[in-house]
Amino acid sequence: MSLVLFGHTVKRNWGLLLIFIFVLSFYMTVMTAMYNPDDMGGVAIMVEAFPAGLTTAMGFDQIPTDLSGFLASWLYGMLMMAFPMVYSIILGHRLVAKMVDNGSFAYLLSTPLTRARIIVTKGVYALVSMMALFAALFAVGTLYAEAQFPGKLNVAAFLSLNITTMLLSMSVMMIVFFFSCLFNQARYSLGLGAGVPVMFLLMNMLGGSSPDLAFLSDISIFGLIDPMALAAGESALAVNLQYGAIITVLFVASVVIFVRKRLPL
Amino acid sequence: MISVSDLTLTYPSGKGVFDLDFSVAEGSVAGYLGPNGAGKTTTIRALLGFMRPDSGKCLIDGMDCSAEASQIQHRLGYLPGEIAFPDGMDGVELLTLLSALRGTRNGGRRQELLDMFELDPKGKIRKFSKGMKQKLAIVAAFMHDPDVLVLDEPSSGLDPLMQHRLMELIFAQKAQGKTILMSSHVFEEVEKVCDSVLIIKEGRLVAQSDVGSLMGSQRKLFVLTVADPAEATRLLEAEGFPAMLQSSGQLEVAVPGEQVDRFVKTAAKLQVLNLDAKHQTLEDIFIGYYGKGGSGQ
Repeated sequence: MSLVLFGHTVKRNWGLLLIFIFVLSFYMTVMTAMYNPDDMGGVAIMVEAFPAGLTTAMGFDQIPTDLSGFLASWLYGMLMMAFPMVYSIILGHRLVAKMVDNGSFAYLLSTPLTRARIIVTKGVYALVSMMALFAALFAVGTLYAEAQFPGKLNVAAFLSLNITTMLLSMSVMMIVFFFSCLFNQARYSLGLGAGVPVMFLLMNMLGGSSPDLAFLSDISIFGLIDPMALAAGESALAVNLQYGAIITVLFVASVVIFVRKRLPL
Repeated sequence: MISVSDLTLTYPSGKGVFDLDFSVAEGSVAGYLGPNGAGKTTTIRALLGFMRPDSGKCLIDGMDCSAEASQIQHRLGYLPGEIAFPDGMDGVELLTLLSALRGTRNGGRRQELLDMFELDPKGKIRKFSKGMKQKLAIVAAFMHDPDVLVLDEPSSGLDPLMQHRLMELIFAQKAQGKTILMSSHVFEEVEKVCDSVLIIKEGRLVAQSDVGSLMGSQRKLFVLTVADPAEATRLLEAEGFPAMLQSSGQLEVAVPGEQVDRFVKTAAKLQVLNLDAKHQTLEDIFIGYYGKGGSGQ
């Protein structure tokens, strides 16, 4: 870990983070504003207008009645997985493989930093920035909900939902980061770094659309989490530990591989 | 001090460098020459620790280039052949970042170098011209006052005046006892600043020598203008110097390096109107090695 390099990484990448905070805050407030505590029936009618397979694929299968359940279903079932995934794909690739591919990584290696320190610093930034994204969204969501519907949001359950979704997104980030450290060429890093998470997301959507395909979401990294259950206040310990293990294993593997490999700089 | 012993580093394609053995002593400049794809950059990758060799070792100031790559950077300056700066950076920002990461605060040296190359590093690097990028990379390579310098085609993109400044800088570094390895395609510049040359072809060293003896071992070409070419040809051939009569009426004589003295004394017997020595450059020598199918000394 190098603080100088960390500061530099923040400086180079905060704009990207800000865009995602902005876009997701927008969705968060719009969705919250659509919540009508007195009449959830309207939403139910709207959902029923769509084919059943489509609504379950989008994660809108249960019709929630409280605000945290409403947000879990409408936001965390899809958008809060997909947008952070896109953020991970862009950032994870940019941090390592892009710099190796265009040769500018040589400048970091022409300083006394070891490869391990560079990769640990960049990986920590990737995780910390994801944490910042969810912290900002949790703050925006909670404050806006309290302002619009005081006392309606189950803050503890909403926090738990955000923590687990954050750990999921960090796992996705580490998948991208791993491929970014593994490959020297941008096309492979981006191909697998984007391809694998997108495939997992599609598997989760397909798995939700029909009971016959449910096994697909069971083996998808996005399928470990059940936003509705978390919003209802169920314990997230088991799934959090699973995501924690995935993050740790991929981070360690990224560092080990990068330290050993040959760099065509 | 750079020392490379039995270095082999191969790529899956089968190319690479094989059994390289050379060293560059403190206070000396070695020129590293070879056609494109011969293995110059591969050797530099091993020296910088970017790639672990298959076998053999390279050491910089006694430290292993792979295992101790990061410690070596304190005393190594590297000028890449293909300069790629991180995206979207500002020139000043890059220099400041490198100083901070190296833990050096030698702002004076940095300003000296910027002045020497008349570079204003403000503004986005992306907008810099090729020459400005090269100057920025030179400043980045020299500003922490390293003991060992690895320069990959250092003068590319520079105008003649700046090339001259760079040569002066390299001379000054050499005088301070720095160890310098530079690859170049500009033979004139190698001839001027390098003490020794390494010529690599297809991954193997085909020549390794100090510049003086490499030049000395070559045949010299003399162009004689004489009053009576026919008689002169006869006399020279009798002494073992085959002369070629040119259409201009001049004689061209090729003389082995160690027989120059005997040639001059022989020529003194003729009525010489003019005597020109054709300057044989390192380029001619290089092209010679180049053409020999790698079977040099």
